[in-house]
This record gives sequence, structure tokens and C-alpha cells, in this order.
Amino acid sequence: MNAILRAQALGKKYGRREALTDCTLEIPPGHVVGLVGPNGAGKTTLLKIACGMLAPTSGRIEVLGEEPNGAPAHLAKVGYVAQETPTYASLTVADHLTLGARMNPRWDAKLASARVEQLGLDPKQKAGKLSGGQRAQLALTVAVAKRPELLILDEPVASLDPLARRGFLRHLMESVAENDTSAILSSHLVSDLERVCDYLVVLVTSRVHLAGETEVLLAQHYRLVCTRRAESDLPPGLDVIWAEHSDRQSTFVVRTEAELPTGDWSAEHLELEDLVLSYMERAAAPARRTTTPTGDAR
Amino acid sequence: MIWLTWRQFRAQAIAIGALLAVATIALVITGLEMHHSYAADLAACTPQGDCDSTFREFQNSWMPALGLIQLFLIVTPALMGIFWGAPLIGRELETGTHQLAWNQTVTRTRWLAVKLAGVGLVAVATAGILSYLLTWWAGPLDQIAGDRWQAMTFASRDIVPLGYAAFAFALGATLGLLLRRTLPAMAITLAVFIGLQILVATTFRPNLLPSSSATFPINESIASQVHGIEIRHGAEAIYFVGLPVPPGAWVMSAPPIEDASGQVVGTGAHPDCFPGFGPAAGAGGAKSVGPRIEQIGACLASDNLHEAVTYQPASHYWPLQWAETGLYVVLAAALAGTCFWWIRRRRN
Repeated sequence: MNAILRAQALGKKYGRREALTDCTLEIPPGHVVGLVGPNGAGKTTLLKIACGMLAPTSGRIEVLGEEPNGAPAHLAKVGYVAQETPTYASLTVADHLTLGARMNPRWDAKLASARVEQLGLDPKQKAGKLSGGQRAQLALTVAVAKRPELLILDEPVASLDPLARRGFLRHLMESVAENDTSAILSSHLVSDLERVCDYLVVLVTSRVHLAGETEVLLAQHYRLVCTRRAESDLPPGLDVIWAEHSDRQSTFVVRTEAELPTGDWSAEHLELEDLVLSYMERAAAPARRTTTPTGDAR
Repeated sequence: MIWLTWRQFRAQAIAIGALLAVATIALVITGLEMHHSYAADLAACTPQGDCDSTFREFQNSWMPALGLIQLFLIVTPALMGIFWGAPLIGRELETGTHQLAWNQTVTRTRWLAVKLAGVGLVAVATAGILSYLLTWWAGPLDQIAGDRWQAMTFASRDIVPLGYAAFAFALGATLGLLLRRTLPAMAITLAVFIGLQILVATTFRPNLLPSSSATFPINESIASQVHGIEIRHGAEAIYFVGLPVPPGAWVMSAPPIEDASGQVVGTGAHPDCFPGFGPAAGAGGAKSVGPRIEQIGACLASDNLHEAVTYQPASHYWPLQWAETGLYVVLAAALAGTCFWWIRRRRN
């Protein structure tokens, strides 16, 4: 099977502003990928390039083994729901399902109507009268019933209240599991994604800072609390992601692919959210990069 | 894709269908009435050899309606450009729904092609039906007026409205695509369309084909054929109105009477021919007591004066209708081509 997404030195500039810089990524198939980063990090740009809505200014990208070319064969394989979950305001819910059926040869009408029923949407309701959460659900239904191999969702839960968020993600997970679909979803909140994603990409200030399977990432990172010392006093092989020093005590977030050597510290694994935050903080303060600039990519 | 285009356009299609039905019924009913009354009038006045007053009365009773219908026909293409063309793509880009449409299993080129062709054909057909109806309806009035070249008449008969509709629609669609906003696209569509209409009517139409000219020597026989004499610019210019140019011609310029050397001649040079107009008579020379036109003609005949007229002959009517339609259709095609190029090349 082809990689979900393979990017080689991918970049996108709007005029002189860089929205995405030197993005190199390879996401193996069969994952639900969380793309995390603060607002304006380039998440939307990356996803739009991935679904062919935007052309990169440099580098190469392959999605499911093919450059996003806008040809029907490729369009059929990728389902995309844009950030604002657009729907046709004057068309009814049922019209949207007809639209999907008319425009997609692999359309699963049963799945679509079952989902609409399950969501409690009135087929005769105009999409413009739906709540933000219902609109997002409708847009997801159209994308899912197309039976794509890969679903790309840009900030799908951003506009939803916590209850709707939970419902949306549960429905998403069900259909992803049922149909054996890969998915990439973005958010600026790790908490949205940690329950559903088994692969994580951290994008900050237009660069990829971390990418990998969630479990592996969690296993490789530790928080070390020890007596106050400089980073250089830590044993080699530990990549320091984040450090904080108080009068008597130092706290480090480190990454190691080997076993953590024993030392005079207390070590514990991090929550996913803390892990991501330490990468975001490091990216926001590039001067802190004391050790070798590893940690990028894998 | 055809389904989606139809679904999005359904309300407008039903509205225009209803409007066309009403317009057809109204024009056919009033048109039949007018055609009958024209035939009856003609039969009544022909034996007497003088139909002028009958025709004038006929015109008076139908001209206001004709003016309204012509106006309606002339604004229709602009309205279709504004309300069908500009939102066609502009609204999708504005509300982001293009992202939904472009991620179904349909290429963008096909999406654009179906939208442009589907709605565009309805626009052109609407203009065609209205133009056909008006051309038939106004037949007797056009015959009486004998002037198919008037700006409003030329622009609302036969085939040019089809070209206008195609162009206005393509213009709206293109501006919507480029500006990504419906409202500015609507405003600019209107401005550009009006501007081009004026430009074409004033520069393209009169100059595309070589005009003919005719010189009329001023004498009694010419004077007996004209409708009247106009004296303008403080009596410095004399015009014979209604010179016998070939029937159906479009008179583009009719300068005042000149002498053999090309100098404009005023009434002052011939005070004897214009009693009551000369400086000596004062300002209040009442026209009713002036000399008859033939007398003026005879009086001026000895001075070797002439009046030259340039015109488009009636035979240029259809070539110019086709040329103008062709111009607008070519522009519309270029705009549509721009849309395809843009949508393929630029990924939004």
C-alpha cells in the first residue's frame, strides 16, 4: 500500500510570506493522523495542498502514491472537508445526498441515509438552517459516503460545542473503522485529537517539528526532574526538547530512541498534550535550541 | 454535475420560464391586435393616397408600449449578467462551496463547463425568444418609422441581443471568478457592459463598413422633397431636413449647406432668400409667415450650393447585425476561455 502522504521539501509561499517551509513527511497507510499546531502554523495550507485545492510553490507531494492532480480517479480516493465545512445553504440535506450520489460513482447511498437518520437530521431541512455542528456532520457524511481511501478534515470540530465535538469524533471514528479509511484531521487542540489519532504531526511556524506514531512518541519521551544542572551535563543520546530551571531543580523533556539510562533523576512519561506543548514552546523560542536540531521529522 | 447545476439554477429557471410565458402571451395578444389594426388602417387610407396622419395616430398609440418593451429587452442581458453570471462562480468562491464541489469525483473543468454552458444557454435563449417576439411585434411600427438604425431599435431586434446576452453572462461569470466576490462582480459587470454597449454603438457600428455619401445640389426640386429647413447656430448654418437619401439608410452625418468651395453658408449671405431671418428683420421672425421651402430652394439655386450626407445603406443592416453579434460572441468566448485557463492553472 502507498503512503497516505509523502512530502519532499514541500513549500508554499503567499507572496513573500511562507505558509509552509521545507516540509518533509512520510505517513504510512492505515493511520488516523492528527495534525497539530497553533493557529497560522500552516495546517490548512498543507491539507489544501494534499487535496489538490492549492498548488505548492516548491517541493513535491504524493497522496496515496499520486500527485494530487484533480483527475477523477484521484478525486474519488480522497474526501475533503474544508475548515468552514461548506454546504449549499439553499439546498436541503436530501439534496446534498443526491449531489453526492450524482457526482461520485462509488457513492454509498445506504451509508449516507443511515448516517443522516442516526444524526437526526431532517432530510427536508435546508443546509443554511442547520447548526454549525449539524453542518459539519452533513459535510462529513458527504465526504464519508463517497467512500474515499483517505479523509482529510481541516479543523472539523473547531466550530462545535464540546458535546457536538464528542459526537462528531465518535461518528468519525465509527466510519473510519467500518470502512477501513485513513484520515488526517487537524486541530490546534491536542485534546480533540488524542482520543482518535494514532499518528501525530506537529506543525509550528510553517515547519514540521515532530511526526510519528503516537504510541512510539509517548514511549520515546520522558520528563526528567533532577537537581539543577546544565543540559550538557545530561548523558549523551538524550535529545533535550524543553528545559526549565528553578533555583535548585531542573526539569527536562527529553527524547531517546534507546532505553533511558538510569541516573539521579526521577523520570516519567508525558501526556500527549504536554509532549506536544513542549515542542510548540521550543519552536516558538528557537534560541533555546542548544543541542543538535534533531527532533525534526523522526 | 448537470443535476447540481440544475438544482442551483432551478428557482431562477422557473422564474424566467414564467416571465417568458407571460411576456409571450402579452406580446402575442397585443401584437395580433396591432397587426390587425395596422392592416385595417392601411386598407382604409391607401385609396385616399395619404396615410401620414393615420400612421401618426397609429404610432402615437403604440410608441409608449414599444419604448417600454425595447427598454426591457435592452436591460435583460445586463440583468442576466448581473444576477446569473456574477454569482455563478463568485458566490461559490465567496461561501467556500467550491471546496465541496471540487472534491466530488468531478473535475473542475467539467464543473465549470456544465455551469457555463447550462446557464449560459438559458441566458442566450431568453434573449433570443424576447428578441424574436419584439421583432415580430414591432413590425408595423418599424415599417412606418422606416429607421432600423436607431440605437434602441438596432440593439433590440433580430440577432444582436443574443450576442449581448452571451457576453454579459460570460462577463459576470469571469468577474465573479477573478474577484471571488459576488457584489463587486455584479457592479463591475454592469459598468463594463454599459460602457461596451456605448462604445460599440458609437465607434464600432458606424465605422466597421465603409459608409456611402451623397451630395444634393440645393434647388427647387430638392426643396420640394424635404420635410423642412432648420436654421441653427445663430443663423450661421442651414440644414435641409429629410433629404432624399436611399430608403432605410442610416444617416450618420449631414453637415449644413455649403458653397462650392466647402464654406458653410449662413442665412446672412442670402438675406433675400430668407426674409424674416436676416438681421434686419429682428429676432421675432415668425416661421409661419416665412416663404415656402420650394421658394427658398429656387432662390438659392443660382448660388451653386450643396448639402453632402454620409450614410450606411440599408443593405448594411444585416452585415452589421452579424458583425456586432459576432464581436460579442467572440468576446464571450474569450472570457469563457479565461475562466477555464484560470481554474486549471490557479488552484484556489
